[in-house]
Amino acid sequence: MLRFIIRRLLITIPTIFVVITLTWGLIRLAPGNFYTAERSIPKAIRENIKEKYGLNKPWYVQYGKAMWPIVRHLDFGNSLKYQGQPVSNIIARSLPVSATIGLLAYLLALILGITFGSIAALKQNSAWDYASMAVAMLGISIPNFVVGPLLVMVFSLSLYWLPPARWGGFWSKSLILPVLTLSGLYMAYIARLTRAGMLEVLRSDYIRTARSKGLRERDVVIRHALRAGLMPVVSFTGPALAFLLTGTVVVERIFALPGLGNYFIQASLNRDEPLIIGIVAFIAITLLLMNLLVDIAYAYLDPRIRY
Amino acid sequence: MFGLTIKQLSAVLFLGTLVLGTISCAASASNEEFFGRTEPPADNVLRYISGDEPESLDPQLSSTQPDARIFLALYEGLVEYDKKTLDPVPAIAERWDENADSSEFVFHLRKTARWSNGDPITARDFVYSFRRGISPELTSRSASLAYYIRYAESYNQGAVFVRDPQTQQFLLEKDFTTASNTIIPLSQTPLTANVVEYKPTAEEPTPDRDTPFHQLMHSPTRLTLPGNEQARAAFLAKNPKLQTAVAGREFVKVKGEDIGVEAIDDYTLRLSLTQSTPFFSGLLANQFFRLVPQKAVEQYKKDWTNPAHIVTCGPFKMKSWRPYNELALVRDPMYWDAANVHLDGIRFFPLADQPTMMNLYRVGEVDAVANHSIISAWVDSVRFKKDYMAAPEAAVIYIVMNVTKPPMNDLRVRKAFDMAIDKETALKWRKIVKPLKGVTPYGIFPDYPEPKSNSFDPVKARQLLADAGFPVIQNSNGSYSCPKFPVDQVEYLFPSASSNKITAEFWQAQWKQNLGITVPLRSMEFRTFADFRSKLEYKGFAFGGWVGDYMDPFTFLSIFYTPENDNNTGWWDQRYVNLLDEANRITDKQKRYAMLAQAEQIMVDAQPIIPIETGTVNWTKKPYVKGMYPNASSLFPWKYVYIERDRSKWDYGTPSLAE
Repeated sequence: MLRFIIRRLLITIPTIFVVITLTWGLIRLAPGNFYTAERSIPKAIRENIKEKYGLNKPWYVQYGKAMWPIVRHLDFGNSLKYQGQPVSNIIARSLPVSATIGLLAYLLALILGITFGSIAALKQNSAWDYASMAVAMLGISIPNFVVGPLLVMVFSLSLYWLPPARWGGFWSKSLILPVLTLSGLYMAYIARLTRAGMLEVLRSDYIRTARSKGLRERDVVIRHALRAGLMPVVSFTGPALAFLLTGTVVVERIFALPGLGNYFIQASLNRDEPLIIGIVAFIAITLLLMNLLVDIAYAYLDPRIRY
Repeated sequence: MFGLTIKQLSAVLFLGTLVLGTISCAASASNEEFFGRTEPPADNVLRYISGDEPESLDPQLSSTQPDARIFLALYEGLVEYDKKTLDPVPAIAERWDENADSSEFVFHLRKTARWSNGDPITARDFVYSFRRGISPELTSRSASLAYYIRYAESYNQGAVFVRDPQTQQFLLEKDFTTASNTIIPLSQTPLTANVVEYKPTAEEPTPDRDTPFHQLMHSPTRLTLPGNEQARAAFLAKNPKLQTAVAGREFVKVKGEDIGVEAIDDYTLRLSLTQSTPFFSGLLANQFFRLVPQKAVEQYKKDWTNPAHIVTCGPFKMKSWRPYNELALVRDPMYWDAANVHLDGIRFFPLADQPTMMNLYRVGEVDAVANHSIISAWVDSVRFKKDYMAAPEAAVIYIVMNVTKPPMNDLRVRKAFDMAIDKETALKWRKIVKPLKGVTPYGIFPDYPEPKSNSFDPVKARQLLADAGFPVIQNSNGSYSCPKFPVDQVEYLFPSASSNKITAEFWQAQWKQNLGITVPLRSMEFRTFADFRSKLEYKGFAFGGWVGDYMDPFTFLSIFYTPENDNNTGWWDQRYVNLLDEANRITDKQKRYAMLAQAEQIMVDAQPIIPIETGTVNWTKKPYVKGMYPNASSLFPWKYVYIERDRSKWDYGTPSLAE
């Protein structure tokens, strides 16, 4: 197990390197520059900018200049658009916002998703089952850029209960609508996955054995069925958590939250190379770590899997 | 979610905007007097949505308009914008003198001006700020605004003077110039004893004219050459006469100390310009010319704008800054006019999504929103409310044509496409915008003569196309077609945004209906688009627009001034430039306008653009927000703004811009 973890962690390093290199290359391919604007800048000023940022050097020099501080000190440099702000500061500032929203949405999705999914599985083909699966289907098919505005319309514009946007702090009313919007899709997925996994497990031999041994139904469900039935959920929620924590572009945009996702989209539109690379690297690392955690959780939950 | 491409992502964001727009709009279809709640805030602090996240809090680095609104609160310069007309009014300069041909200015600073840390503001602060802004190391994108200052352009470009090592004499520009009719401005003519530079005023004696620096400014302009060795070699290779003259001389880099900015004493600042610039004092209100604190900048380098280090000089100072969320300012007691600042503070909210802005406004979380926050789908439900601000904007929209590629290199074809658009119908359909004849906006410069442009004339348009070799045939069902026209050589290129697409489809339909030509439409992500357009890689037509930097027609006419394609059309005419230069030497406003208009007519006749419309400011403020006027650039001197709690004194409708 330990060897497995170490091996996986070691593979992470070249993977990140490749991701950063590809990102760097893709930014070069995109037309336009961080200083492109509606009005063209005089040639002399363009030359000054190129000189300052080394854009007049050959590509391998630029690549080396971009990569060396990252390899050496994990230093992603300064944002080109938000002049003078280090990328690490921007990430450190916006990550807590995204992570708070993401984690709350994740927990909400997990709790409600597993609850409704289990109920649906245990009472298969009942009204409970149909109702929760219908709601789940709606959750999957209505995109969050529709759910968000609908919630805003009801709770902000009509009832005046909750603010329609903006970040009000880590413990404020302004969190409620974004968290609800964000969790909808995941909740629906988790409910469906739980139901499917549970149904499969409930029909399996060892559950029948457990029941025939006279185990209480509660123990059968919670100790045996749920544990195995959650396997698909685990493999889904690992990467899902990574995405939720590192910001979700649409929700952060609709609710004007100062999170990573908002910076990421702006950085791409602004061709803000250091910021794009920094955020991409950060997301890639988070994603790889989450996948590793999923694999470890698998081994823990399912005794049949050993590494 | 991150598997999406930028294009898909923009599409999703666009859809989101649309959904939010439609839903929220439906919720607002009521007969209320105002758009949303009108409860004044409990404290005396204005909450304003400023638009995009500020690029920087350094006024010389950020050139955007949303940031300009923040800088109006934090920083001040020699002059400030008038709250209604945007004309320059005294700020740190109490008053100023101008020489006879507007090529030299002397500013008298008020002695009570202080930085937010209590240090006095002197003329040396301006010398430092201007030199820093223009320095090539800062790479300010607005530096070209200061090119009117003597040697500023050379300094910014890293150019060099040429000096004889023996005699220490510099080579002079006049000995090598090829132009025959150059007129030397008064700022550069030698000062003889009987020259009177300024009309004497009763208050103070005219400033010392015999300083060595001033004498230097009044001597002939030195020759400058490119600082970069390769560029210089290439330049010299083209000028054999120069090449021989330069041999054996040394090259001296143009320094900050060489530019035409002089502190005569602590409270007198003199600016020497390269040419007559009658609009120069208006230009000085731009953020680029606002003061930056030398001590803080030198101590903290690029970190000087951190809330812990920042030192400012405007009516408000920094309280806290949380990027992408809130910039909170409080009234600065050190400000020279603090007694007349009404608000206790301002909270700027940077936001990019328009429906989100309007939702915040509607529920009363903010008191006013940035210009153009109302998406087109909402305009009808907002524009009849009494808190909607409507006024002409110093901004124009037009279609640029690539005159370097056929078929648009033919004047007749360009004219035909202009005449085939029914602009009056377009204006009625667009509801809030105003007409445009050339490139100067309608209704902004009252005495400025409008150019004569083509009227809507589809018959003549078809005739012009036929003359150019593309006959238009009428089909049996009454529609037209133009089989010979190379449709694959044209397209209309525009940045992807919903409003652009709707108008693009309108032009397309007009051309189809009147000329029988279906111009393909192509949208692009903004920076890709801007890159394509500036390199003249587009075929046929592209979206074009311009926002004025200062309140003078020249800010618009200058788009076509440089041969370096700032106008994205490839069109340039020496006659046009000569007329503009000549006009700027005229001090009589009426005569100057007439000559500027004459130049504009040359451009309009050559038709590198199809004028479309003059913009309209388009924003909302709560009726209790007073002292905030819908001026042509939506720039608000914040010290005049206040919150009125007496309902009878509220604004019911757009406040008048008239005096």
